[in-house]
Amino acid sequence: MNRLNLNLNRIVVLLFLSFAMISCSNDNEDNDPVSRGDYALSLAIQGTEGNFSYYTVPFEQIMEGTLTAQGQGIEQPGYYDFVGFDNTIYSLGGLDDVNVVAISQNPDGTLNQVGDVSFSNSLSDMVKAGDNTLVSVTMSSSSDIITFRKFNSNSITVTEEKVVQVSEFTNLVGPSYSGMVVRGDELFLSYYISDPNTYDTNYTDQAEVAVFSYPELEFQKVITDTRVGPIGGFNVKSGLVKDNDGNVYAISHSNPANGFSQSTQPAGVLRINAGETEFDQNYYFDIVAASGGFNTAHLKFLGANKAFAEMNTATRDTQERWSDGPLQSAVIDFETQTVDFIQGVPEHKGNGRRLAALQEGDNIYLCIPEDNGIYVYEMDTRTLTATKGAKVQASFVAGFFKF
Amino acid sequence: MRQIYKSFVFHTIFLCVVFHNLSSFSQNTQSISGLVVDGLNKPLEGVNITLKNEFIGIATDKQGQYKIEGISKGRHIIEVSLLGYKVQTREIEIKNKDIILNFTLVEETFAIDEVTLQGKSKIRQINEQAYAVTSVSTKELLNSSVDAQQILNRVPSVRILQDGGLGSNYTFSLNGFKGNQVKFFLNGIPMDNFGSSFNLGNIPVNSIERIDVYNGVVPIWLGTDALGGAVNIITNQKEEYLDVSYTYGSFNTHRASVNGAFTNDTTGFTVRGNANYNYSDNNYDVLVNIKDELGNVIENNVEVERFHDTYKSLTAQLELGFIDKSFADQILFGVITSGDNKDVQTGATMETVFGAVKSKSYSIIPTLKYKKRDLFTEGLDVSLNTSYNITKTENIDTLVGFRYNWYGEKLSSESQTDAELGEANLLKFDDNEFANQLNLSYLLNEKHSFAFNHSFQYFKRDEFDEVNTDINQYFLPKRLHKNTLGLSYKYQLNKKWSTTFFGKAYHLNVESSQRSGNTIETTEAVEISNHNYGYGIASSYFITPNLQFKTSFENAFRLPTAEEFFGNGLTIVPNVNLKPEQSKNLNIGGSYNFKILEDNHIELGATYIYREAKDLIYDIVTVSGPTSKKDNLAEVKANGIQANFGYRYKEFFNLSANATYQNITDEADLIYNDYSGFQPNFNKGARIPNTPYLFGSVVAGLNFKDLFVEKSNFNFNYYFNFTEEYFLSSERYGYTDSKAIIPRQLSHSVEAIYSFDKGKYNISLECRNITDEVLYDKFRLQKPGRAFYLKLRYSI
Repeated sequence: MNRLNLNLNRIVVLLFLSFAMISCSNDNEDNDPVSRGDYALSLAIQGTEGNFSYYTVPFEQIMEGTLTAQGQGIEQPGYYDFVGFDNTIYSLGGLDDVNVVAISQNPDGTLNQVGDVSFSNSLSDMVKAGDNTLVSVTMSSSSDIITFRKFNSNSITVTEEKVVQVSEFTNLVGPSYSGMVVRGDELFLSYYISDPNTYDTNYTDQAEVAVFSYPELEFQKVITDTRVGPIGGFNVKSGLVKDNDGNVYAISHSNPANGFSQSTQPAGVLRINAGETEFDQNYYFDIVAASGGFNTAHLKFLGANKAFAEMNTATRDTQERWSDGPLQSAVIDFETQTVDFIQGVPEHKGNGRRLAALQEGDNIYLCIPEDNGIYVYEMDTRTLTATKGAKVQASFVAGFFKF
Repeated sequence: MRQIYKSFVFHTIFLCVVFHNLSSFSQNTQSISGLVVDGLNKPLEGVNITLKNEFIGIATDKQGQYKIEGISKGRHIIEVSLLGYKVQTREIEIKNKDIILNFTLVEETFAIDEVTLQGKSKIRQINEQAYAVTSVSTKELLNSSVDAQQILNRVPSVRILQDGGLGSNYTFSLNGFKGNQVKFFLNGIPMDNFGSSFNLGNIPVNSIERIDVYNGVVPIWLGTDALGGAVNIITNQKEEYLDVSYTYGSFNTHRASVNGAFTNDTTGFTVRGNANYNYSDNNYDVLVNIKDELGNVIENNVEVERFHDTYKSLTAQLELGFIDKSFADQILFGVITSGDNKDVQTGATMETVFGAVKSKSYSIIPTLKYKKRDLFTEGLDVSLNTSYNITKTENIDTLVGFRYNWYGEKLSSESQTDAELGEANLLKFDDNEFANQLNLSYLLNEKHSFAFNHSFQYFKRDEFDEVNTDINQYFLPKRLHKNTLGLSYKYQLNKKWSTTFFGKAYHLNVESSQRSGNTIETTEAVEISNHNYGYGIASSYFITPNLQFKTSFENAFRLPTAEEFFGNGLTIVPNVNLKPEQSKNLNIGGSYNFKILEDNHIELGATYIYREAKDLIYDIVTVSGPTSKKDNLAEVKANGIQANFGYRYKEFFNLSANATYQNITDEADLIYNDYSGFQPNFNKGARIPNTPYLFGSVVAGLNFKDLFVEKSNFNFNYYFNFTEEYFLSSERYGYTDSKAIIPRQLSHSVEAIYSFDKGKYNISLECRNITDEVLYDKFRLQKPGRAFYLKLRYSI
């Protein structure tokens, strides 16, 4: 019996030892110092099986070295879109359900996340509607309803939900979201008609913007204009831009690069003047003529009648569908109706999503994909020059913010 | 049980004799007959009398008499054996006279179990093949309330990740390979397209004789394109038995199983079959967040009962035919039918809860099996397996205008188009598959043997959406023809060393159609063909009869499916240049079994596993558009070790444990997306996410004979399962303390079984997850907590 015990003990000990070795070999945890800083980038990293995870990481500077999420950042696996208002980043998205999370800066420069709200349908967009109030819209070409939600921007809770039947503003199947602004007593919502199954756009003869009352969110009317085609396009969410005076600019491109299967009207910019709810028939910005044949799907308002634009430098009829490129960065002026290209930025591709650009003073920061990686570019919107900054270790950049 | 086993042996041997008689009809032969008694001169029944190295044998009758006829002239070795008695052999020479030969067997007083261990059971024969194969016998489990899924989850290198309770979707993973990288067989018939109603969770232990799991290297006779290995489920092969069982348990679970076979000894006519019914409400408690109508989470971690998770399935298999006729050793016509009805409770995570989504599936599978030994010439064996699957699947998501919360309350969404998963749909798939497997083997002599396999699979899928009829024009028909040829040569140098070399050739032909322009009118027929060649080697060496080393290697392929080539006609766009996935799989292992002080039997085994897989197919999601396509981009490497330990003290106590460690890393140099093009892979060298890497299980059992009444048996078993914590996404990025993880999981189960009248009547009580541990799989989908099952079983 003694011999047996001895042998058994040996075996047991051996087994445990071999396991301990296995377990130990994995305990090489990296103790990277926690990154902090006033800049924050939401980096999308493609995983082993093609899926993406998003990491929102703070950085002290963005012009040198490599910006990486290695051991850093708030992890969000799934699909996410990022917007920023008042020193807070809001992520919209999820793995299965869709949630809203507010990411803010702790006093020590690290990041903090709050939010306990979740929906079954994705939020097409979220805009600031007033102090402490955000408005989101859920819109899908296959659905017969659109849903507005009002959020308390501090607690990230939904305070009100408003469902609107699509049939109130169109008889066509497939209005797809392209832009939203809240201005005073109105909410403007632009859309284009897209077949829910094929994504074909068979109605491109006019611009359509639905007008709702705010804060009631009651449907008022649809304003149309046949000088251009539909406003906005697939997933870039910048069909409508509001300036500081309350003018709303509506951008039409009908570009295959951003989801259109056909185009039947010119590209251009229309305006809804401050205080009015109709297109200004005297305003038409022929962006194609001003840029030498190009149009744009991505705009970011800078102030003083100016906006940053990613100009698509191929003509519409030569475009490959869904390509969102080739792009060239520019500054456009709604008043003087000019397009000025920024020098020193290589021609690049867009990511077919919301433009992840940061405005800081006269500078715009944008990540540009190049052959050997993605780089931050600092673009001076006054001198129209650019400086290449840090390399970004990501598949694409989904958000670019500063606290 | 032993009775059945005896009669099984008896039948096989008897029928072999009959067969031999038929084939050697014209020869001049003699007979041997006699009486076998024990030391007290009492006749012994069921003693096996065999002629060594010949397919001839018989068992003694009730009077201890035997007679073997049709023995050719010359020298023969006669072997006499009975469980519990010392084996006797005697050399005889048959001349022109019948021989009468009597035996007196001497009892082996100390250990019946020793004999069982020495006599190589089928299981050990499988385990001793040169392939890295784990064979699990259900012999000890027949009174357990487990199914194929739970049995497999205790096999090294295997992890089954489940969505929920009984009948829920699962992912079978073998060394990290999953989905159709691992192929399943039912008695050698490919189960690829058997439909969801015939799955591992529906096959109760009583319908299974054993399960063979081949790690990475798959013998040619299974004839398939498996990248990571294959699983062959062998149903009961006994020729005369009946096994009826019924299980009732927690969550209103009912499982009934009837299995039986009848064979007429004189005509060879045989009927065998099984029928299984499974039902469960799956209304176990889960921890969830409760949201209000607006979507705000108002309560965290509330315990609620699952309310829409009922599962019901019925499967039946019936085979009719003949055994041991001159034209066939076995010819069986059969049909498998199955159907299931499943409520779907959650989405990919538990944040999404459904109250009306359902799926249904029906299959009908006619089969033909044919086996003949020594066809035309001695040593040439042939077998044929043919099946035709007709499978219909319905995914039902038609309730519009409502959402559910975890309290089961219906919340209005004011929509007439939005169902719970998105746009309302009633999608139907009609799958048809014809599969044929021909195996020929030729034993040239003791040293050289050859085997040939030809497998053919034809698969066709039609899709139809009853709700969105305008969408149907985009569902292109998909057809796939697959031919696999295999050739192997086995060289048996001596009793100790054998090596098998094999080669496989794959031919694939896929027909579908694709759009060449932007409109549906530009659809045209397309056809793709491709060839690939794989090869491998498996070698086994016995240093002593108890110490075996084996190694196996295969350069394996997994051919793309029609869907991977052609997408769905809508958002998944075709990629006709898709290549097969390929992997170099290597196993090196050893096993040792020994005894300490006669009664302590110990078995040790370990296998090192290396996998180098490339061209793995995954979805390339278009960053700037809604489409995706498949491409061969992923590369992974796996370094792993699996170890097992077994200990048995007489029949009284047994303990077995196994553990698997697998370091599976992402080895692709480049990743691709349409925005940044080809980029260095940011996860190169990192462990692949959402895949367990360290896990194991322990089984311990106590067995008391004749505890209260004679011929009774009391069993107490303990089961333990362990999975180490792992990351849901890349281990490399994000704050380590706030990353999404699946925590370390430990689960304990106990079982008490009482059998009486020699195992004829059995009752068992099982408690699973006795500590009510919160267990997760996949994207933190919670599995059942503590559950009780009572099983009654009658077996003859």
